[in-house]
Amino acid sequence: MNHPTVSASGLSLHYGRTRALDDVSLRLTPGVTGLLGPNGAGKTTLLRVLATAVPADRGAFTVLGHDPGTASGRQEVRRRLGYLPQTPGFHPDFTAFEFVDYVAILKELTDRGARHREVRRVLEEVDLADVRGRRIKKLSGGMRQRVALAAALVGDPGFLVLDEPTVGLDPEQRMRFRELVAGAGEGRTVLLSTHQTEDVAMLCHRVVVMAAGAVRFDGTPAELTARAAGRVWSSTERDAGAKAGWRTGTGSFRNVGDPPAGAELADPTLEDGYLLALDGADAEVSA
Amino acid sequence: MSDEDSRRRGTWHVDEDDLRAYARGGLAAPALWSADAHLTACAHCRGVLAEVSDAAALEAGWERLDAELDAPRPGWFEGLLVRCGVGDGTARLLAATPVLRRSWLGAVVAVLLMTFAVALTAGAADKPALFLAVAPLLPLAGVALAYGPALDPTYEMTVVSPTHGFRLLMIRTVAVLAVALGVNGLATFALPGYGLRALAWLLPGLALTATGLALTPRLGPVLAPSVVAGTWVAVLLAADAARAAEDGPLAPFTAAGQGVSGVVAVLGAGLLFLFRDRFDVFARGAA
Repeated sequence: MNHPTVSASGLSLHYGRTRALDDVSLRLTPGVTGLLGPNGAGKTTLLRVLATAVPADRGAFTVLGHDPGTASGRQEVRRRLGYLPQTPGFHPDFTAFEFVDYVAILKELTDRGARHREVRRVLEEVDLADVRGRRIKKLSGGMRQRVALAAALVGDPGFLVLDEPTVGLDPEQRMRFRELVAGAGEGRTVLLSTHQTEDVAMLCHRVVVMAAGAVRFDGTPAELTARAAGRVWSSTERDAGAKAGWRTGTGSFRNVGDPPAGAELADPTLEDGYLLALDGADAEVSA
Repeated sequence: MSDEDSRRRGTWHVDEDDLRAYARGGLAAPALWSADAHLTACAHCRGVLAEVSDAAALEAGWERLDAELDAPRPGWFEGLLVRCGVGDGTARLLAATPVLRRSWLGAVVAVLLMTFAVALTAGAADKPALFLAVAPLLPLAGVALAYGPALDPTYEMTVVSPTHGFRLLMIRTVAVLAVALGVNGLATFALPGYGLRALAWLLPGLALTATGLALTPRLGPVLAPSVVAGTWVAVLLAADAARAAEDGPLAPFTAAGQGVSGVVAVLGAGLLFLFRDRFDVFARGAA
């Protein structure tokens, strides 16, 4: 097993009476790890804690061997961190180059020449070299998202945190963004929050499912899919005993749960495994 | 063919030794100007130049040129800061401070003008109480508006950058105070009849700003300055009610009151320094 980039144990966080994180433990290794879960599952909170934006109430974690619990450790983590928030904000009058340059200054790249070379490098990496001089307010949503990714890639961070980067993108932009994330995941650790199983299926070597602030599954996408083996069936009517069921394009119903005797079993998908993992009764964490 | 003949007929070429010197950057004017002009029109000389140039140095030169062309053109304010000796990176950070934009400055000026108008139309030109009451609130408001999740679109990315949040806060605070105190100071000069009394806003202004910032980690970026501003108004109302003579100054603008303001300013600054690490994570209520 690779030495973990991130090692967290027992992370808990409350906002007032709301339990946002509940005893979360996980280890992240190089490659893209998907963080799946419905809205309100605690994905963004976990990402903010691991990105050192919000301190946890309880628990501890290290990133690349540094403890963000101390001021100096936090700074060391931040020097190795790339962070793309869920709704990245921009100074709209900045050009793409100016904005990434601004973030590069915040990332302590003080030498002007070296900083500008780095800005050019990351803009080329996200395929925005041709529009580097265009104002951000004139860029499309997909391009803005790529500008934010470029900003996250400044300084070649060892740990990249991406919070639902494909939300709001059209299918073509989404596919382009996935290619970029796959490229970014080569040689570094990427934690990708998403509620789209397609993102996980196409990008991730590992998936963590969260619900109600807790980890419900931690394993490979194949293992998550395998959890639904023998628990997916087709029927002409919605099965009242199913944990989830929906009408498919063929007109028949696809059901997930405990099949009745004689049910017509179907091949499981990652989405089926995800739905079952969200069910509290099926909570399980594998190695 | 003489050089003169060649020039006249447009068939002359730059001497190879001169081209070597040109490639090294060692050709002096006016031969440099001549070579510059000729090279733009002569493919033959450009070919020779390419042969005599060090390929790696040429590539590095192009890269430097590209980087320089891409580099953001600093605005007048940013350029002014750099010319005044402020570092390139700090100048860029300051240029992105919302409160330093023209609209913010305009708002400050507008508030001051309104104060004058009210004071003058009320027939109170010799009583600077209203000006002194409002002027300390301007730096407080300016600093409150320069930092925090509500007004800084890049707040989330800024918080997780290795640049310490307190350092960024101080850079912006100094910039805002310079503008706000400058505007107030100019207004003071416009009221020569008040004498030194017209400067009695300065210490309360510093006290309110320091206290507002010191309370921000505890109360949040909106409530803290609001509470401080409300307290200031309450103090002024109480002082007005307790004023012995109608023509006398309000207590905060007496020598004793100025002393209290000075002490509060020092205490606020001390608390602010004590709480400096609280500015390095998400502001209360922002997560």
